[in-house]
Amino acid sequence: MEVQKEAQRIMTLSVWKMYHSRMQRGGLRLHRSLQLSLVMRSARELYLSAKVEALEPEVSLPPACPSDLRLHPPREVESTVETATADGEQPSPEPMDTQEAPTAEEIPAYSAPRPAKVSRKRRSSSLRDGGDAGLVPSKKARLEEKEEEEGLSSEVADRLQPPPAQAEGAFPNLARVLQRRFSGLLNCSPAAPPTAPPACEAKPACRPADSMLNVLVRTVVAF
Amino acid sequence: MIPGIGTLTQDTLWCFSQVKGTIEIGTTEDVPCFPFAFCHDCKFPEACPDMQNSNVLPSGLLPSGQNKLGPWCSPTGSPAPLSCETGCGEGSWILVCRLLVPTQVSLLSMEEDIDTRKINNSFLRDHSYATEADIISTVEFNHTGELLATGDKGGRVVIFQREQESKNQIHRRGEYNVYSTFQSHEPEFDYLKSLEIEEKINKIRWLPQQNAAYFLLSTNDKTVKLWKVSERDKRPEGYNLKDEEGRLRDPATITTLRVPVLRPMDLMVEATPRRVFANAHTYHINSISVNSDYETYMSADDLRINLWNFEITNQSFNIVDIKPANMEELTEVITAAEFHPHHCNTFVYSSSKGTIRLCDMRASALCDRHTKFFEEPEDPSNRSFFSEIISSISDVKFSHSGRYIMTRDYLTVKVWDLNMENRPIETYQVHDYLRSKLCSLYENDCIFDKFECVWNGSDSVIMTGSYNNFFRMFDRNTKRDVTLEASRENSKPRAILKPRKVCVGGKRRKDEISVDSLDFSKKILHTAWHPSENIIAVAATNNLYIFQDKVN
Repeated sequence: MEVQKEAQRIMTLSVWKMYHSRMQRGGLRLHRSLQLSLVMRSARELYLSAKVEALEPEVSLPPACPSDLRLHPPREVESTVETATADGEQPSPEPMDTQEAPTAEEIPAYSAPRPAKVSRKRRSSSLRDGGDAGLVPSKKARLEEKEEEEGLSSEVADRLQPPPAQAEGAFPNLARVLQRRFSGLLNCSPAAPPTAPPACEAKPACRPADSMLNVLVRTVVAF
Repeated sequence: MIPGIGTLTQDTLWCFSQVKGTIEIGTTEDVPCFPFAFCHDCKFPEACPDMQNSNVLPSGLLPSGQNKLGPWCSPTGSPAPLSCETGCGEGSWILVCRLLVPTQVSLLSMEEDIDTRKINNSFLRDHSYATEADIISTVEFNHTGELLATGDKGGRVVIFQREQESKNQIHRRGEYNVYSTFQSHEPEFDYLKSLEIEEKINKIRWLPQQNAAYFLLSTNDKTVKLWKVSERDKRPEGYNLKDEEGRLRDPATITTLRVPVLRPMDLMVEATPRRVFANAHTYHINSISVNSDYETYMSADDLRINLWNFEITNQSFNIVDIKPANMEELTEVITAAEFHPHHCNTFVYSSSKGTIRLCDMRASALCDRHTKFFEEPEDPSNRSFFSEIISSISDVKFSHSGRYIMTRDYLTVKVWDLNMENRPIETYQVHDYLRSKLCSLYENDCIFDKFECVWNGSDSVIMTGSYNNFFRMFDRNTKRDVTLEASRENSKPRAILKPRKVCVGGKRRKDEISVDSLDFSKKILHTAWHPSENIIAVAATNNLYIFQDKVN
């Protein structure tokens, strides 16, 4: 649970940093954006793997300390998954997202009208404290979160194929368990949203930023 | 004393020589230094990046109707540095002092009369506050070590010259005094992309001296400029057609003919931009490097490296291009590049993945395929969440001999032999105690800091910066290392620098500093070492420290 919270916090932080970097003088820094997206991707995968672990309470796993997050199997898995596959699996919740290619270059153009709107709302505090953001009701967020859940679940499903090949590492049991419970996981995915309000909390409450997060997530996936 | 040979720590004692820069008065660490001006009617409050960092003033000081306080910016909405020399930005400003309560608020505007402006200028000069524009962004000695150039965030270049050693003061080596100051780059606006181009000087590189003038290259994110710095100490006098003030004389009053003669005058150092190399980089330039043929140089941005001829400004050759066809597949960027010191066909460039590629321009016109590929296999026990970020190389430097390259990533400095590609020959831990703090360093953005590294003249000692105004030196021969601090407290003339130590855990001895007390806002990113002597220049935010080894 700790790991999950930590990963979620880092994800939120990365999104905020990506956002903020756009408003800096000198424009978007390619290297910085790349690094942020790498962290974002790692945090996301850690979050997913932690979530999967949370669904398997009987498997005893060595605790991972939040300050030093090691991910062996997700990293090995992730290197074999084609980004194209992952992209294809994830449904696009909004037509806005499909119209633009999530490239690092084009994001500033896409979001150029955005910062003006979003920066008025003091979002830094709400983003840092993921717990509070979930209190603000947002129908749209829930819709996207559901679709995202499905997208993420299918990604997890993708990742379940390679694990048997890389069963070594710190979590060999996890890999086997994931493989065994593969179908069970897919079946219980509609039930997952209620148990994953953190995902909703991690997302900013206001509308334009939701799409922003999706765009950024797609960017991360692309990377 | 053998110049340039450092036998370090117990044998070499470093002592303070000079410090240059503005003194911080009343500024706190976390607040960016815009202490005392705010926009009167800012048209672009949303575009202003620092609105959150507004300073709180007692309400009585704000003119009525003004309830917003932010850093000053130009009428286009981009923050513009306020230089202490001119005292004025563009548009209309209201100057409010943070420390002294003014009896009246002066309005600085372009329509203002000269007298009030002069008063305000002198007011600014008397209290030299540290501004963000004064943050030093690059330091470089020239090839003889006689000149030391610094570039700052405000686009200015300041050149210091070493004074001639006088016979009277044998025990004191020449000090560096200001030789020339000029504005190299101005903030620009890319209208096509709606982006502001920062004027911050990213790198300065000197050309070897070939005549009486000095030449240097300075670059910001997009444009490289070649500057000529020359002295003028004679002035022609005795013109026929104009008088001493330059006014044209009435031809009817001229009755005699004379030949103008050159008369000595006060030394004037003038800097003129001789070439401007622009519009060649889509991404932000991170390095420039002069080739050993002294005819060409290269400029590197995140994805491309261009080769220029000094004489031609409207064309450049692209020699490296790592931009993928599909930007979604981007995995690494170029972080630094340098030419070999002796072989004009060889250069190296480092990447954000921790790899170095050596390329030979004789092999092909586009050097996309490297000649050598330097990469160290990752230590699986050190693998962590932020491994990818901290393995990004921030600086790469050839040794003076050309045999070795030194790379700096976030936690280590590595020395590579050009003949061995699979691992470095030496690895030095700069501040390994930060390895467990990477998460916090990610939060405060310190993990993205790009530290530089330098060789000494004989390639026996390497130096790099750290936090808390610490900098580290590693002796490659004796394997000893030392941590020193650049601070105002140690700034007495010829005061010997005491080695500092960071205690990692457990008991903290006296004079040690614990990791949690380190000041991460005081970082030393840029340092320079004199090419032949033990003189170092260390840039600590907006101050330049010069240290020399102790002369017995």
